[in-house]
Amino acid sequence: MDWGRVRAVMGKDVREALSNPQIVMPLIVVPLVIVVGYPIIYLLALRLTPGAASGLGGFIGDFPRSALPSFALANTARRAAYVGVVYLFAGFFLLVPVMVSTVIAANSLAGEKERRTLEGLLYTPLSDAELVVAKIGSSFLPALGFTWICFAIYTAIIAVFGAPLMGRVFFPTLNWWALMLLLLPATSLLVISIVVMVSAKARGFQEANAIGGAIVLPLIGVVAAQASGLMVLSTTVIVVAAAVFALADVVMLRVIVRSFRRARVVSYLS
Amino acid sequence: MSSDPVRADIGDSLAIEVKGLTRSFGAVSALDGVDLEIARGTVFGLLGPNGAGKTTTVRILNGVLEATAVECLRVLGHDLPRDAAAVRPLVGVQTDTSLYDRMSALDNLVLFGRLYGATRGAARGKAEALLAMFGLTDRAGDRAGTFSKGMRQKLLLARALVGDPELVYLDEPTAGLDPEASHELMVHIRTMSERDHTTFFIASHRLDEMEEVCSQVAVLVDGRIRECGSPAEVARRAVPRVLVRVAPAPDAMVRPEVLRGLPGVVDTSVQQDGSVLLEAAGSSDVPRIVKAVAALPVDLLGVGEEPPTLAEAYLTLVGATDMVRGGGS
Repeated sequence: MDWGRVRAVMGKDVREALSNPQIVMPLIVVPLVIVVGYPIIYLLALRLTPGAASGLGGFIGDFPRSALPSFALANTARRAAYVGVVYLFAGFFLLVPVMVSTVIAANSLAGEKERRTLEGLLYTPLSDAELVVAKIGSSFLPALGFTWICFAIYTAIIAVFGAPLMGRVFFPTLNWWALMLLLLPATSLLVISIVVMVSAKARGFQEANAIGGAIVLPLIGVVAAQASGLMVLSTTVIVVAAAVFALADVVMLRVIVRSFRRARVVSYLS
Repeated sequence: MSSDPVRADIGDSLAIEVKGLTRSFGAVSALDGVDLEIARGTVFGLLGPNGAGKTTTVRILNGVLEATAVECLRVLGHDLPRDAAAVRPLVGVQTDTSLYDRMSALDNLVLFGRLYGATRGAARGKAEALLAMFGLTDRAGDRAGTFSKGMRQKLLLARALVGDPELVYLDEPTAGLDPEASHELMVHIRTMSERDHTTFFIASHRLDEMEEVCSQVAVLVDGRIRECGSPAEVARRAVPRVLVRVAPAPDAMVRPEVLRGLPGVVDTSVQQDGSVLLEAAGSSDVPRIVKAVAALPVDLLGVGEEPPTLAEAYLTLVGATDMVRGGGS
């Protein structure tokens, strides 16, 4: 494996992706809503509208008190803020890297086929394994970096808008660190591997994006739906879940690297 | 019609050696028993109509497509597809693929230089030299997507050369280039072939350019090599008709019926420029026809054999005989 070649292709992919408005726009708009809009509105509503917390209904009231620290049990607004910030938004956060990586990964091989640039790459000394690793890496690293930037912004927003309500800085929790540093990279890698595999066989970006999304979203839907519950459980459970996904990543990567043959990709070209 | 492999200097080691190459796509046969032998340092031209199998040949010779069946497939001393990884660093390819439009011309070349193993600095130096060679230095920082068709073609050619290849595949290299740029490219190709012993494998429809630059050509029709050899050999074999051109002085007149009566002349045709083409019964008749014409009491600008062109050979081989001089007469 020549990492210089891998880095060259990754650098090219990232630069190309970031200069494409079709890719950049959703990457700005969706996280802006999920990471900035929702939490600000939610926390401001709890602070500025006294009855807002009670309007959230039974979910907050039914939430296990053992999952909340004592400072969050002082009043309904604090309970609602804590449950929302720490548990509910975890599921949303899983969607950010999935969305970023699906878009970039779909653009990688399938987009290159569509723009007729892939064949030029296939004639170079770049090996099949280097190409696959570069394509996965050029989706994975930006997705991870982007998500961590979103996490930093989210943390800052919670500090600014949530701390006055709670009387202290309460975020991120240990489970969030485990989510961000372990579970999220592991799930993202699996998603990207699937989309790159689809992308190698798709005719174009839209097809790869659609098929990749159709395969990936149900999987992520299940994970996202379980995220709130997962966050209630101990950090150990998150670590174990991340380990399971990491194992799946290893298997998936081996399958893709072994099954990718440029001759097969060229046979899809006109 | 000959189907012998193309041979350059047999004493040289071969850049490409192919025997019995067959490739099918489902029920469609793209290549059907292709044989080629191309010596290092040769400028080789693969000619053929659209769909003849040229692109498929180039893909297989680069190890990006597998043959359905082949007896021997060696490129630069390596067996394909087994040693494809060893061949690719030695080969540069310009096909009708695209550039990275959102990247600058310089960045496009630096990327490919790095893929061929150069450091960023070395790749940049090589890229700048190639941009200068193709007259693109002023546009080095501009996005490739803003380039005209001719400039894009030059950039694709530069990209094929960025790895200092021993063997270069070019697919319609002068498409989109103006005559001046086309001529410059032909000069570059010939220079690199002679000076650096670089082998060129060119697929093209520009028959006049191929005749000018190639030392070997092959005509591929329906997946089979129909003729191969030097352009003159191919032309001679494909177009057996022997012609002698008689060019009278501006105020002189040559009567075709007189020429038709000369020994060894089979037919005559008056050309638009006033000259007359005589069809000889055979090449051995040419000297006496020339002597007989020169003895006529007419002022002449010249008289001599008119050898068949590569274009005529190509048109004959692809079945367009009515477009060949004297065709259908």
